[in-house]
This record gives sequence, structure tokens and C-alpha cells, in this order.
Amino acid sequence: MTTFRYGFFPGCTLESAEKELKMSTLKVAEALEIELIELKGWTCCGASHIQDIDELVGTSINARNIALGEALHVDKIITVCNTCTLMLRQSKKKLDERKELRDKVNEGLSRANLKYKGTTEVTHLLWALIEDYGLENLKKKVVRPLTGLKVANFYGCHILMPPKIMGFENPANPQSMEMIVDVLGAENVPFSQRLACCGFHAVFPAEKEVNRLTQMNCLSPKEAGADCLVTPCPLCQMQLDAYQPGAQKGFDKDIQIPVLHLPQLIGLALGISPKELGIKRHIVDALPMLRARALV
Amino acid sequence: MMNSLTIKIKRYDGEKTWYQSYILPYEKGRTILWSLTTIRETLDSTLVYTSACQHGICGSCAIKVNGKSFLACQTPLDKVIETFQTTELIYEPLANFTVIRDLAVAWEPKMAKMKKIKPWLIPTEEGSEEKGFLQSNEDFHKIASSTDCILCGICASECNQLHVNESNFLEPFIWNRAYRYAVDSRDKSPEAHVGPAYENELWKCLHCMACVTNCPKHIDLTEEISSLRKMSIRMGETKNQGARHAFAFFNDVKNNGHLNEMMLPIKTDGVIKTAATKLPFALRMIKTGKINPLERPKKVDGIEGVQKIYDYAEEVENK
Repeated sequence: MTTFRYGFFPGCTLESAEKELKMSTLKVAEALEIELIELKGWTCCGASHIQDIDELVGTSINARNIALGEALHVDKIITVCNTCTLMLRQSKKKLDERKELRDKVNEGLSRANLKYKGTTEVTHLLWALIEDYGLENLKKKVVRPLTGLKVANFYGCHILMPPKIMGFENPANPQSMEMIVDVLGAENVPFSQRLACCGFHAVFPAEKEVNRLTQMNCLSPKEAGADCLVTPCPLCQMQLDAYQPGAQKGFDKDIQIPVLHLPQLIGLALGISPKELGIKRHIVDALPMLRARALV
Repeated sequence: MMNSLTIKIKRYDGEKTWYQSYILPYEKGRTILWSLTTIRETLDSTLVYTSACQHGICGSCAIKVNGKSFLACQTPLDKVIETFQTTELIYEPLANFTVIRDLAVAWEPKMAKMKKIKPWLIPTEEGSEEKGFLQSNEDFHKIASSTDCILCGICASECNQLHVNESNFLEPFIWNRAYRYAVDSRDKSPEAHVGPAYENELWKCLHCMACVTNCPKHIDLTEEISSLRKMSIRMGETKNQGARHAFAFFNDVKNNGHLNEMMLPIKTDGVIKTAATKLPFALRMIKTGKINPLERPKKVDGIEGVQKIYDYAEEVENK
């Protein structure tokens, strides 16, 4: 049997507010017999902010992160965060295409006894399940099909755009989430905000506008009849879930909808308990909905 | 085998809005603009849209097809049929523009907005009408990509901040114009372009990448916005939420390697504002165990190496 082995880049939110994503990712990987080796000493990817202060630092810290993965002799580094994926891949693309930049960055890395070689790819769990693991294999592991569960897939921007860096699928009409949801036995619900931005990266300077986005992003799937939103990005999850009560305040329509991480949805279908998947760790409790659908 | 296309166009006559359907024969290799021209010439002479050069230069024919913006003259119908897996296409005017008639949108308000960032060269004394205004190859390449903008409006139509912004946020093509003059070696006053950019909500860009993704000229608008932010910081504009938020990440990585999420609101907004605005949020987060106020991120393995990399970057920039 093929072994699936990745260098695991968790990203900062998995160590704090989104711990349940780390719990559920590790549980799902275990159930699927995917080996995840956490990169030792990884740092924040820059989260789409550090380049606004210093571009060379932004590229260098990710060259360092990727070099930590290269030292593990894995083919790919895997993430479960859209923005981490984009930041790592963006740095990788620059380093691979611009020798002068790579040499400059490597001079800095040499002071930390590291070297960026460009031998390891960067992927996201969503992509890896489709292109490495295979949907047929995933289907074989489903022990509790999510029959009757109506799922609204919220992709988030950074797993799709820009395609010259991400490139897994057409950002105008992606299908990867729908393909996974199909395999899990749940029902995909089309909704107008499916490809919208969650606004998380500007939640401080653009609080009012991002609040409005959260209202629209929660109302649209709810009106389309979805039981929950599911997202491959912890930042989208945090924006849609943790900021939802604030967005509800003063808004006349009921927007309440639970927001699950993609590995939590997969974990449920693999028969992993909600407790092990950290489903209780959300601001909008998903358990009543899952009980009503007889899925827990 | 496809035989026909159903094209539903959002019409507007100055008073009312409706969708009107047209059936066209499918012909391989045709563009969106061909469908518009064919409808107007053979089916409905009242349809209003704009186009001129038909070669992706004038930027006048951008519209939305099935919710996404395209330059009509350059986009094959086969591409949109394949993308959306349907021969039923919905044509609408660009979003975030005032509609004049049908698919024609108003540019005057956008141009009035663009004037804020002084979209013209403020010349240094080195050039003159007699001598001309020479620029090195290297300096030209700093502006080469940004001068490719054809003002088609696609970036503005796709902009996620503009969809919800009711105040001053500038269109991506305006950020591009501010950048283009601010980095031009012949311009003596970059701050005259960066200053108004900063004042018109520069830090509200959501970094969603929709403008970069859809620009038909492949201009890296997000990197330009990032450069404008760096220039505004160099001009001394550091006491704002956007810059403070970015510095919080920059410093946390240097000091510990990971972000300190607990302290992020305080570093961005200060103690007083955080206490006044984020308290209910924080209490909810603590109650569900999402954040633990007693937890501090530990320094990552090899943090000394990270700090050496920071020192190196600083040395490079000071050179």
C-alpha cells in the first residue's frame, strides 16, 4: 500500500483559538493512515501582513519554514489553512523563479544553518485528499455517511487566488469541496456567497465592512437551506463563527448558522466522535444541528 | 454537441431593470463580444454596451458573465462555457459602478475619485520640454507593468471591499495609478500620491486577491498596495490600526516565532479601545475555551536563527 507522509505546517491559529482544527486534522490523518510530521521550529507564515512591513523578511521566514520541511525528506509540506498555503507557495514561487532573490535569502538562512533548496512542494489537505489520497480511497473509509446533512461550502479566497500561485482549480467555479462533500454522503447547497471573501485580514481596520460581509456570508447559506457552513480555512472559520454574534447584533435577519472546519466534517463521516473533533469549541454550537440530523 | 446558447442580459432603461433572453447559434472560437455584436445587429438594436478596439487595448468592453467579470473582446465563449459548465449565460454590467443603460457603466465618478491621488507626473527639475525626460532602463521597469492598465474596471468589479464599502475606499486601478506615479523616477513628490492613498482607506484592502486574479493585464495590484503601505509607513503613518496590526505580526515572529493571538487586539487597538469594543467578543472566546488568557506562546525551536534572519534582512535594507 502507498504510504502518505507529509511535513505538517499547522500555522498559528491551530495553536490557539482554532485548536480544534489541529485536533480534528490529526484524528482524520490517523484514521486515514496519513503520517503528519510537524515541522520542528516552524514560525508564523506572515499571515498576509508581514510583507507590508518588510517583504524580504516575509519571504525569508517562509524560505526557513519550507527548508525545515525539506530537511524531513518529504515530497510535500501540508497545511490546513488557506492563508498559510498561499504565503508558503507565494514565497516558494518567488524563490524558485528568481535566483538572485534565492541567493540573497539563502545568505540570511545560512546564519541559521539552513538552506532553501526548492525540493519540497506545498499543498493543502483539501488538495492532497483529491490528488494524492484519492476520493475512492476516502470513500472506503466512510463509516457514517452524512446522509441528509445540507452543507454550504465556503472556500475562502486564498485557496483559490491568485491561480498563478495556487492553481489547483479554476477560481471562478471550483469543485473540490463539493467533491469531498459528495464522497462523505452529505448534500451540497448552492448559495450566492460561496466564493465570497470572509474579510478576516482587515477585521481591525475595516470592522464595519467586514461585519457586513459576515452578515451576508451567514445569511446567504441559511436562506439557501443549509444546515451549516464548512470551510477549509481556520481564518474564515474564525471570522464566520467567532464574529457571528457581533454581526448579528443590530441586524434584523437571523443569521445563526454553525461553521465547521473541513476536517471536522470529514471526521464525522469517518466515525470520529464530536468530542475528539473539538466540535464543542465553537461559538455557534453545531451539536444541536448534528443531533437533529441524527449524526451524533 | 452544443447547438445554441441562451444569453440572458440584465437590461436597464434608466428607470426599470429586467432580464431579457436571446438565443444564438453556437459557433466555435467566438468571443463574448461577438455575442453582444450579433445580438445587437441581428436580434435587438436597442441593446446598449460599449466596445471599441476589439484587441484588449481600449478597456471598454468588460462585463460580468455568470457573476464574474471578463473583457468581452478577449474572452472566448468556449472558456466561459467550460468554466461554468453551461450554455446558459447571464450577462450583467460590472459591479461597483453606476449603470447608465444595460451593460454600459459610468466612468466619470471613478475619474473624479482618481484625481484625489494626483494621477499625473509631478516632474523633478532634471527634465524639461527641450531636453526631454530620460529614464534608465531599470527605472522604467519599475513602472512598466503598472502602465499596462487599460482602465477596464474589472478589478473594481471584483473587489470584495468595494462590494461593502460605503465611504472612500479606492478602486484597485486607482491604487495602481497612485503606485505608478509614486515609484516613477521622474516624479519629485511620491508623498503627493501616497498621502491621499493612505487617507482613502489604504489599509482596508482585504487582501483577497480578486483584483490580481482577474486583471487581464496581469498587474500585481496586491503587491502595489503592499508597496503603498510600506511607503506610507516610511512617511510616518504608523499610528493606525493597519500598520499596528502588521507590526504586531512582524514583531511576534521576531520575538517568539508564533503570533500571540491574545495580545493582537491590544497591539492593534490599544488597551482602552480593546476594553471598550472587544470585551463581549473576548468573553465569548474565553467561555468556549477558544482562548486562554493565561496561555502565552512559547518561543519556537531555533528562534535565535529567526532573529539572525531578521538582522540579515535589516542589514540588506540598510545597504
